[in-house]
Amino acid sequence: MTTLTPIADEFYAIARQAITAAGADSALHSMGWWDLLGGLDDHEQRTAVFAFLRAQGSTLASSVAIGGLLAHPFLAGTDFAAGDVISTIRRTSRRAEIHVVIGDPTGRKLLIDQPGHGAAIVNADDVELKPITISGRLVISQLHSHAGAPEHVIHEIEAGPARIRSTFLGHIGLAIEMLGAAERTLELAVEYAAVRQQFGKPIGTFQAIRHVLSWGRTDCVAVDAVIHQAIRLDHSAPANLGAITKAIAGRNARRVCERSLQALGGIGFTAEHDHHHLHSRVLALDSLLGSSAELTHVLGGELRRSEVSPGLAAAVINHH
Amino acid sequence: MSISFGSFGRDELLDGTAAYSAAFDAWLSARPDVVQTVQSPMPDYTKRVDAMCALMSVLHDEGWSRVGWPTHAGGLGGSVLHRGAMWEVLSRHGVPGMALFEHLEILAPTLVAHGPADFVAHALPEFLSGRELWAQGFSEPEAGSDLASLRTTATPDGVGYRINGTKIWTSWARYATWCLVLARTGAPDSRHRGLTAFIVDLRSPGVEVHAIEQANGTDELAQVFFDDVHVDEGRIVGEVGGGWAIAMHILGHERGTFAWFRHSFLYHQLVDRLGAGGAGGEHNDAALGNALLDLAAVTATSHAGLLTDAADRAIGPMSAFTKLLLCAAEQSVHDWILSGDPDLAVGLQTDDVALRRQEYLFSRIVTVYGGSQQMQLETIAKQILRLP
Repeated sequence: MTTLTPIADEFYAIARQAITAAGADSALHSMGWWDLLGGLDDHEQRTAVFAFLRAQGSTLASSVAIGGLLAHPFLAGTDFAAGDVISTIRRTSRRAEIHVVIGDPTGRKLLIDQPGHGAAIVNADDVELKPITISGRLVISQLHSHAGAPEHVIHEIEAGPARIRSTFLGHIGLAIEMLGAAERTLELAVEYAAVRQQFGKPIGTFQAIRHVLSWGRTDCVAVDAVIHQAIRLDHSAPANLGAITKAIAGRNARRVCERSLQALGGIGFTAEHDHHHLHSRVLALDSLLGSSAELTHVLGGELRRSEVSPGLAAAVINHH
Repeated sequence: MSISFGSFGRDELLDGTAAYSAAFDAWLSARPDVVQTVQSPMPDYTKRVDAMCALMSVLHDEGWSRVGWPTHAGGLGGSVLHRGAMWEVLSRHGVPGMALFEHLEILAPTLVAHGPADFVAHALPEFLSGRELWAQGFSEPEAGSDLASLRTTATPDGVGYRINGTKIWTSWARYATWCLVLARTGAPDSRHRGLTAFIVDLRSPGVEVHAIEQANGTDELAQVFFDDVHVDEGRIVGEVGGGWAIAMHILGHERGTFAWFRHSFLYHQLVDRLGAGGAGGEHNDAALGNALLDLAAVTATSHAGLLTDAADRAIGPMSAFTKLLLCAAEQSVHDWILSGDPDLAVGLQTDDVALRRQEYLFSRIVTVYGGSQQMQLETIAKQILRLP
């Protein structure tokens, strides 16, 4: 939690409560999240949409929210409503292009984006989804094959612009869910440092531990600030701000997990402690839509070739 | 003095920063002569200061730098967002840095908020125009991170105070007319409760300024000796015994909002190196991307600081994050510059290389000045994480 963006903090608290009470998929309905997707052009509604994902990361809940967010820009001009269609997500792999689905898409359609060739909407029942078992309490499955013709095809001429918007939203969405997970594991480590005693006093009194945790908080604040600036700028954001946000979130969230583990010590490395779930959640989300390592390299290359100042103009950020 | 903002009216410029930025940008584009001198690499610090003073004199006389400051302090109104926009536009026009006008964004906001009104109404325009510059006398040989232990004393002499003691690491004292000195007016063991902030004229009898030659080859730091230096009672900033609050107000800006100003120039340095072919090629892209991420963190956190300041709210301990992130970004940028340009380590001693070598070395000390990295981490541990 931070004081940089009080509205975001309020939505976050509400979402946490809703998820804890009834689970993430129910919370999507009770919060009217699917309706909020229709109001993405409004700053507050956008903030609320993303706050849900932050809460999902911190509570280790799983839902189809990220796929719904990714699919949303593709649905303009179709008869589908928000929530009808869930997008599959490209995953980094050395072998082949792999698509995964997060959450349980039963009863919904799946959108499979094929850059350069439009996007297809298929019936979830027509595809073979193999569940992947990893820690992180993430409900995730891999798309293997789909039979028959797609139910609906979005041609590249419409899919192209939708993809840009979808990727921006997806980058922010994955970034904020990683932030939620990282903040939670840091919170656990801070609580632990206040009670775990060594040499006759809490380990949180030792500067070596205090500074590790302060760096963790600094990494979280940086990600939080970048995410909320991107949410605020939205359509006015430079083309690379989504990638920057996802890259810094992946890099920092991983660092926060490592720092938290260092303070937690052995207990943080056990199956019974939530740390490994939060850490695994971060690793899994970092691998989607371009990992931090990939995006950082690409961003550097783009900047090197462009030779244009990547700084945001004061006049632009002051006015959004 | 006639002030002309081209086709823009003053009210329009004050309304928001977009019109101000656009107008200032257009004016600079039409007057490239104004920034021509500061654009050339000047390893000699005094030359750099002279060139910046000349630039600032023009910006003051034309009115641009008066926007963002209140009218009672000689400004034209507007907020810190205008100042942030002005320096950002300057960085885009090839101005490499602030060369001692940093104190406009570190010290001046506190002077304007808490300084003696008549004095400030005279001093700020003199500072903005580069005629009378400022230094900040906080650190002492025996008081660095433990600022509350400082020993410089201020003793009442009937018509004011007598200052005795030594300040060190005093940036730009050699060029400055005025120094904001934190001195002890309370008992020797009064710690932070017994401090008062004084405006000291560095031309006064009893003041000696000794430049410190630095590891990076420049000498903008100094040790300043005060031997029975008289200060009028009207030169107190804030309350007697309220010096700690003044120091915290200054440090809130130095660590919070100032990052916006400094990081604008880090973006400039990145682009400048790219244009000069010093990028180090494809194998260095990850380092460049990493610097970009670190800068994005500063953009976002320091801009939040600007908005907080513009709304007249205190930045508080959040400034510790911004300070840490600025240091990280400054080091990432210079790591990338060094790795792409081995001449910085050993090689051609052109002005350009010499200047970048200075800047690289300076980037290694940024985690020490303005509150060391360890002090920032302690602030976060104590005030944000509330660790025992």
